[in-house]
Amino acid sequence: MHSRFSRLFRFIALAAVAAALLAPADVVAQAGEEHAAQAADTVGGKKKDYIMPHVLNSDHTYLPWLGHGLEKEIALPHWEPIHIGPITLDLSPTKHVVMLLIASTLLVIVMLVAAKGAQRAHAEGRPTRGLAAAIEAMVLYLRNDVILPNVGHNGEKFVPFCLTAFFLILFCNLLGLIPYMGTATGNISVTATLALLSFIMIEVAGMRALGAGYINTIVWWPHDLPVSVKLPVTLIMTPVEILGKFTKPFALAMRLFANMTAGHIAVLALIGMVFTFAQLLNYGVGSWVAALIPVGLSTAIMGLEVFVAFLQSFIFMLLTAVFIGQIRESHH
Amino acid sequence: MAAFAALTPSVLAAQEHAPAGAPPGLLTVDGGLMFWTLIVFIAIFTILAKFAFPAILGAVQAREAALVKAIEEAKADREAAAKLLADHKAQIDAARGDAQKLIADGRQTAEAMRSTMLEETRKQQSDLLERAKRDIETEKTAAIADLRREAVTLAIAAAGKVIEKNLDDAQNKKLVEGYLSSLN
Repeated sequence: MHSRFSRLFRFIALAAVAAALLAPADVVAQAGEEHAAQAADTVGGKKKDYIMPHVLNSDHTYLPWLGHGLEKEIALPHWEPIHIGPITLDLSPTKHVVMLLIASTLLVIVMLVAAKGAQRAHAEGRPTRGLAAAIEAMVLYLRNDVILPNVGHNGEKFVPFCLTAFFLILFCNLLGLIPYMGTATGNISVTATLALLSFIMIEVAGMRALGAGYINTIVWWPHDLPVSVKLPVTLIMTPVEILGKFTKPFALAMRLFANMTAGHIAVLALIGMVFTFAQLLNYGVGSWVAALIPVGLSTAIMGLEVFVAFLQSFIFMLLTAVFIGQIRESHH
Repeated sequence: MAAFAALTPSVLAAQEHAPAGAPPGLLTVDGGLMFWTLIVFIAIFTILAKFAFPAILGAVQAREAALVKAIEEAKADREAAAKLLADHKAQIDAARGDAQKLIADGRQTAEAMRSTMLEETRKQQSDLLERAKRDIETEKTAAIADLRREAVTLAIAAAGKVIEKNLDDAQNKKLVEGYLSSLN
């Protein structure tokens, strides 16, 4: 609720200016674009995009501010890109880097506090309480009912990775729902890196479990068929197998990124409708009544977003566990 | 569409194609952000895996280990008990066999003893009977001889008295003895 009102205030303060007219590049925001374009203010002939800058990464971040605009723009430092061979890396802390650091700091604090609480409770032989109990319940559920059954026999060593991925994504997702914050997991670079780590984890798990048999997950070579059948099938199936290896992390990255981005765009587009209605109804009493519809809808979407934040982090972790389990048990 | 064009397979390519200062698209891959994500993830993983998860999962893992141990111990105990039971059964069987053998032996011994004793008794009895018979026979023979001698003496005495007057003793005795032996 708090989040929704804050977003609303932020946008009321900026009501005089038009909502986003999206660049053709930003195809994801098609639904929002339509409404936002109607609210476009042509004063000064300048059209301002409010949706995409919120979703995209940037070199500045915002803090709550009681002055004009209710926000203070904080410019983040720009560092010189470093060159490693042919690769140029710009390591300047962008908005999403800052969000990532905030989320991870919060995560570490929460987990360490929970760990300490759990440890104390275990030492005293009583059930855990409060935050520790909540985290313990989640960790235990994920470990016992999600990770271990999917990863399969001797899956204990994959539990920390899956749990870390889950909690980091969850904290980034939830942080994005807080006003003035950004969603690091709504950035394809972040989700791609996480998916890449999952990919490495999956393949390493496959190599360790199958040994030399790992090659069978790349080259499809059934032993119970005659060579005349085997050869053409192998020629067809091998590219499919190789493709399958990369579609999994690709889907992981795209799913998380798209879910996180789409929710924010939906909320922003709905809020943009407030100002579209206001303009259409000449800022009369009717516009306040009409505003209730998008406000109610965006409230519902925000509620859904909280659920999606949990769901997407869960799915990312679940699929990683499932893929690890699959490759460990794939004996062709 | 431009955003999709920006989705290039590698960071390197993305950076090469993206013109400097161009606004980033939704699908622009940012190498710097990827680097930071990697660093953050590894750092968090290290911290959580070392300090948080073991503490939270410690009790459960200990309980699981204890459970596994208890199950294994129970299994071992059951096996030991089964072994002990089998041993006892074997011992009881052996004891029963021994007892039966003892009884059979006893019966056999008794049987043998009884038959031996019976045999002995019978032998003694027959011996005794035999001796008695023999004694009787001897006595009878002796008595007969005695009687015969007495009879001879008596007959001689009587005959002596009867025919004292006609015959001398020697002649008469001879006569009588000849007669008596003819009686045999």
